[in-house]
Amino acid sequence: MNDLPSSTVDASDESSGRLHRRLTAAVDGGFFRITVALTAVFLYVPVIVVAYLSLSPRSQPSIPLDGVTLRWYGAVFTDARFVRGLATSTAIGVVTAVAGTGLGLLAARTIVRSRLPRWVRLGVALVVALPLFVPTVVVALGIGMAAGRLGLGFGLAPVLAGHLYWVLPFSTFLVTSRYASLDDGLDEAARDLGADGLTVFRTVTLPLLRPALVASVLFAFTLSFNEFLITFFLAGSGVTTMPLEIYGKVRIGATSFLNAASVLVLLISGAVASVAASLEPPT
Amino acid sequence: MSRRTDRRWWPSTPAGRRTLADVGVAALPTLLAVALGVIPLGVLFVESVSPPVTLANYAALGESVYPTIMLRSLSIGAVVTVVCLAVAYPVTYWLAHRCPVRYRLPLLISFTLPLWLNYVVLNYTWVWLLAEDGLVNAFLTGTGIVGQPLDLLRDAGVGVGPLELPGLSLGLGFVHIYLPYVLLTMYVSMERLDYRQVEAARDLGAGPIRVFRDVVLPGTYGGAVAGALIVYARIAGAFATPQILAAPSEQMIAQVIATQFYDVLDYPFAAALSVAFLVIVVVGLGMGAMSSDVRAALARW
Repeated sequence: MNDLPSSTVDASDESSGRLHRRLTAAVDGGFFRITVALTAVFLYVPVIVVAYLSLSPRSQPSIPLDGVTLRWYGAVFTDARFVRGLATSTAIGVVTAVAGTGLGLLAARTIVRSRLPRWVRLGVALVVALPLFVPTVVVALGIGMAAGRLGLGFGLAPVLAGHLYWVLPFSTFLVTSRYASLDDGLDEAARDLGADGLTVFRTVTLPLLRPALVASVLFAFTLSFNEFLITFFLAGSGVTTMPLEIYGKVRIGATSFLNAASVLVLLISGAVASVAASLEPPT
Repeated sequence: MSRRTDRRWWPSTPAGRRTLADVGVAALPTLLAVALGVIPLGVLFVESVSPPVTLANYAALGESVYPTIMLRSLSIGAVVTVVCLAVAYPVTYWLAHRCPVRYRLPLLISFTLPLWLNYVVLNYTWVWLLAEDGLVNAFLTGTGIVGQPLDLLRDAGVGVGPLELPGLSLGLGFVHIYLPYVLLTMYVSMERLDYRQVEAARDLGAGPIRVFRDVVLPGTYGGAVAGALIVYARIAGAFATPQILAAPSEQMIAQVIATQFYDVLDYPFAAALSVAFLVIVVVGLGMGAMSSDVRAALARW
């Protein structure tokens, strides 16, 4: 990334014969490329360092490593608490991704296509978007306190509800932006040909929304899989998720075990992200 | 069907049935959002003025360390947001207008990939860079630049007037996880900036600073505001990042709220802290978002 070919200086600048323009282009071209390269280094070096240190044969790695082993990855997979956290996070993530996308689809249909009055549709959009504007700690405390006061207690059900609530604005707006771009005439045409509302939705609208729905499922899974703060306030003592496990271990101290666990977690969400990137190129 | 139309609550016209179906479609997500969004905020408010009805919890906010912690959270949020914007401007400008097309998408994806990653883990990675036996100190002592390892991890912040700058490790940890959001919103704006305007300004003799101030800045204002709106409250209200990377003596508001909820079990005071924080952030952001030129910029964005 740091050694892009020098032809990256914009062609229009090259074609100019004026010396000071060339100088300006060279100076700020260099400045920009250095900034971009440093930003990439800044974002990825910490991750690479931890991946490197996860290979240490000792539980407290030293720089440079005095050997290379995968034993900590083995240790992660035989650690009962961590495996349970990983399984719980994956299960909650899958349920949240599917149910959250379904709810997002219903909300998006309400916002974009519903015949309800405008203020109702705006109101739905607003309450759905609420967790984007309210600081997460306030959302988490509110749900935790409400669950406590209403006697619902803590555990899996509140965590699942909290995750659904947290992913809803993202799935809603992913689907809404696609829904809004669909041609209303297609619906009308299908209706004119005698299809009822549900058939139109199933055979015309749903296939057209597919890319947005897939993106929403993947992103909602990632959001839920990585969610920490809401879970922290709602899990109680019975439920452990992968981010909670990692956080608990970080507070105790940095170790090779934790490095391997971290790399695994990054690989899982990185894999989901790359599936998303290959399916739907950002526009 | 004909039997059903006799019942008054069942709409008899096709339009009426479609409205009923629309209500059914809207009901589930709306119920969830109200039950977990609106009602908990109501519970928080009621809790914050109990028992039975008192303002004592709010009065306690003005005492002891709480004003300092509130101010620290707000100013760290502001400082980190500004740093993210300062980095995002040149990076997205280059990506949108200078980067060869074939590198553009891969680079954009790699700059936004951290959005998909776990921020607790990303914060943790800095421990290995900044710790006494971490990479930076290994490099500095190994090359003889410093004799003793530097105290980089969980270092204290710096007060500048009423503002409080985060310590190095907290600042780096925050920028690491929130920069990708700002890069994304800024890129959307930068891509729409007409590069011919930049060229025209250059042809008329404007230097880089002038071009930035008079062409790039006004054209991408919306993306900057959107990015700031998205990250500011999250930084000011962060819990895990300061727990992992801040000096223990320099708490932020979310840490205090969690302590009151979990350890002290003082629900009314935890609620008052949250409501006060929410009001300050939302009123602050709301006033910003209400001003007409910000709204116009956001609408364009």
